[in-house]
Amino acid sequence: MLCHDFIKKIKNREIDIASHTEKIIDECKEINKEYNYFNTISAELALEQAKEIKKQLKNKDSKIKNKKLLGVAVSVKDSICVKNVETTAGSKILRGYKPLFDAFAIQKVKEEGGIIIGKTSQDEFGFGGFSANVGIGFKIPKNPFDIERSCGGSSGGAAGLSQKLDNHIALGESTGGSIAEPASFCGVYGLCPTYGRVSRNGLIDFSNSMDKIGPMGKTIDDVALMMDVIAGYDKNDSTSLNVKKENFESFLNKPIKGMKIGIIKEAFAEGVDREVEKNVYNGIYELEEEGAKTEEISLELPIKYGIATYYMIATSEASTNLAKLCGMRYGATEKLENSFNEYFTKVRSSNFGDEAKRRIILGTFARMSGFRDAFYLKAAKVRTLMINEYKKAFKKFDALASPTVPILPPKFSEIKKLTPLQHYLTDVMTVSPNVAGLPHINIPVGFEKNLPIGMLLIADHLQEGKLIQLGSAIEKGK
Amino acid sequence: MEKFASEIIIGLEVHVELDTKTKLFCSCPTKGSEEPNTRTCVVCLGMPGSKPVLNRKAVEFALKLCLALNCKISPELIFSRKSYFYPDMAKNYQISQYEIPLGTNGKLKLKDGKEICITRVHMEEDPASLIHPSGLKESQYVLVDYNRSGNPLVEIVTKPDLNSPDEARDFMKKLITVLNYLEIFDINSGIIKADANISIEESNYTRIEIKNITGFKEIERALFYEVERQKNETKSHKKIEQETRAWDSERGITFSLRKKETEEDYGYIIDTDLTIVEITDKLISETKKSMPELAHDKVKKFIENHKIKKEDAEILAAEKGLAEMFEKVAEEVDPVLAAKWLRRELVRVLNYNKKELHEVKIDEKHMIDLLKLVENKKITDNVAAKILEKLVENPFDVNEYVKKESLEAVSDVSELEKYCKESIAENPKAVEDYKKGEAKALNFIVGAVMRKSKGKATPKEVNEIILKLIK
Repeated sequence: MLCHDFIKKIKNREIDIASHTEKIIDECKEINKEYNYFNTISAELALEQAKEIKKQLKNKDSKIKNKKLLGVAVSVKDSICVKNVETTAGSKILRGYKPLFDAFAIQKVKEEGGIIIGKTSQDEFGFGGFSANVGIGFKIPKNPFDIERSCGGSSGGAAGLSQKLDNHIALGESTGGSIAEPASFCGVYGLCPTYGRVSRNGLIDFSNSMDKIGPMGKTIDDVALMMDVIAGYDKNDSTSLNVKKENFESFLNKPIKGMKIGIIKEAFAEGVDREVEKNVYNGIYELEEEGAKTEEISLELPIKYGIATYYMIATSEASTNLAKLCGMRYGATEKLENSFNEYFTKVRSSNFGDEAKRRIILGTFARMSGFRDAFYLKAAKVRTLMINEYKKAFKKFDALASPTVPILPPKFSEIKKLTPLQHYLTDVMTVSPNVAGLPHINIPVGFEKNLPIGMLLIADHLQEGKLIQLGSAIEKGK
Repeated sequence: MEKFASEIIIGLEVHVELDTKTKLFCSCPTKGSEEPNTRTCVVCLGMPGSKPVLNRKAVEFALKLCLALNCKISPELIFSRKSYFYPDMAKNYQISQYEIPLGTNGKLKLKDGKEICITRVHMEEDPASLIHPSGLKESQYVLVDYNRSGNPLVEIVTKPDLNSPDEARDFMKKLITVLNYLEIFDINSGIIKADANISIEESNYTRIEIKNITGFKEIERALFYEVERQKNETKSHKKIEQETRAWDSERGITFSLRKKETEEDYGYIIDTDLTIVEITDKLISETKKSMPELAHDKVKKFIENHKIKKEDAEILAAEKGLAEMFEKVAEEVDPVLAAKWLRRELVRVLNYNKKELHEVKIDEKHMIDLLKLVENKKITDNVAAKILEKLVENPFDVNEYVKKESLEAVSDVSELEKYCKESIAENPKAVEDYKKGEAKALNFIVGAVMRKSKGKATPKEVNEIILKLIK
């Protein structure tokens, strides 16, 4: 059932919101036992919200009629602040941090009657593509189709839960592909909006110039619905875009005849799994059948330099963002002794995971005087060149297509054998649109060996509507 | 080694708190409750998830300062993160400016006309304040108060153009004059701090940095001490090493904080939580229009319009309050008289009381009343000066006071003559001495008359009457 139809039933009181929410919470607890999709299940908050909605429905409160998410279960990636609910970004160092405020996106969800069911698991601070880099003491989420495999990352819990739980939409977050990539591994839709389209206020920073909150869901309709709720200008985030509010749902089922799709040549080169390639082409054929025009395009720069550029900028910014975590004002603490320097070191040494430490070291190095010009500043320049190359392509095309991930979801035993560089390379398709701040979406296009495969579509800045339009066409074709 | 023309080389980095209502990146008030950690929010506490939003008023203030200091203005306002770990830093980085400061290449003129080059003027946020319960060195723990965290600051960096502690003090004085004119600094509660680089020829200009000197009078004291210290060290053949020192204002000494081998690496990167603000020509010209007259404008105006001496004009203009008082007083009384009384008598009385003009309640109305009486010869200079002393202590209605205390000048010649006759009769020896040719003896008689008239007579008039009487 689409969330759209579910909301109608809630409004008509065909479904009792209070008992439904209780059932959902129990279901989440059950799912979590096997799959580890939650860091926290916010049962208390959810039931309280449900009770309030029930009361308003009973009183025939006039405001209730227009609530876009009424009664829909919304899970929240653990890096997004929910007031009074432990928010750790998947790190031991933030254990116990209960934000004093709701993120802008959470405020919107609450205003529209969405029910916050909990905080989903992720790579620590988003540092990974398999959700295998969870913080110390956190559990690794598992693929909904095969528990020996990864559900992708870093919004792994969000993706897995979207596949497993009905009448639910997830809020994920992407810095370098953390929405599209896990969505691909779990066979769900994941839309990463234009940078600035959804306020970052209340999002725990990984890389400020690239972090984006976006929806993940089982259907394109659910994703469009959530976009309508969370997109919009926020004066409390300086990078929030003050643009006209769009009606994203209006792009659903809109004909795609005549739309132009560029097939990124370099994205189907060596290193791409044949089964992945085949299924992504099936998706492209479906678009053609619906009337879209396709053509190959070469995008050398993003594919060649995307990873390097991304890791320079992301680690540089991350290493400053994580500096505030030192056991002084919130989160984990250690025994207070000796100088502040020794104390901070102790807190950070024993509460950050290995990947967090690796990225702090990389980022701090790239910012050092003498290296800044060669690394951080150079990366910033390449980023501009990449944006220019994409912009040129979008003069001709409505969207660009590639696989979301070049491989099928790997087994945890295989991930363990990867070097950090091999690990980073799985992001090759998704990092570049993230670096360029371009909206992109994962669209499930098929299965091989009972594992889902996704196609990545990238659109120009602020053209999320086109992605929804194209996604909707493929969904209909299935 | 650098070559310098002077034996003492001083450069200053001055931090000035801008007098905005709210902090630089959040809407917490900059003033109000002194209770620790009450003027805070998730932004100035650096809570994960919070985001900074730039205070436009602070930009306007900083821009005014850059324009007043004749700086070249950057077309873009870009903030960077200056990273270092310290307990007073909410985020362990400070939002500051690095590559492209708001203003560069400005200048400020000292009283002797020497121009001090301003290398840069940039904006940044203030850290929290650390409280050491039993002193900097002895405390077992520190307390952190975030009330100040995020207050807007401008940092003004000079070239090492200053050649004595005296020049440094004059620079600070001139800078404060500019800040006052622009009304961007609260002289009563705002904080002004400086780091000073100081070196002397005898040590081959080995650079010593003194950190965190608070208050502009302290800056001269610290520099004076440090010059002497360096001279004494080199005299006794001790080697001066490059280091960072701190100023202990209670003991009046500087002490070593750390020997510096290398420059600290703050790993600056752009703060992408903030967008780049364009400083357009339109904004600059609008800001210029909204700027008040500055000291040098006033000097020019005073000389041209009020025909007062350049020297008087400069002293009056150096303090905004004094200049404004002069402008008002000069509308009502002779400007030359007003200038003389404001810059000599008022300043003298203030100095005597160790007060600044803004600290006392005397206003232009008092001065106008007083000087009108002087101008119309209703009271003597003597009486006026005494009234002024009292006014500075506690203001009152001048006219009523003069009436009540019957201080009006004695213009009745018969009464004056009476005093003179009495005095001549009472001092026959003085009269005799004067007639013998001792001119000074006359003063003795005049003094006696003045005492009788309680200062209400003018010496000149008394002089004339006595001469007439004893001839």
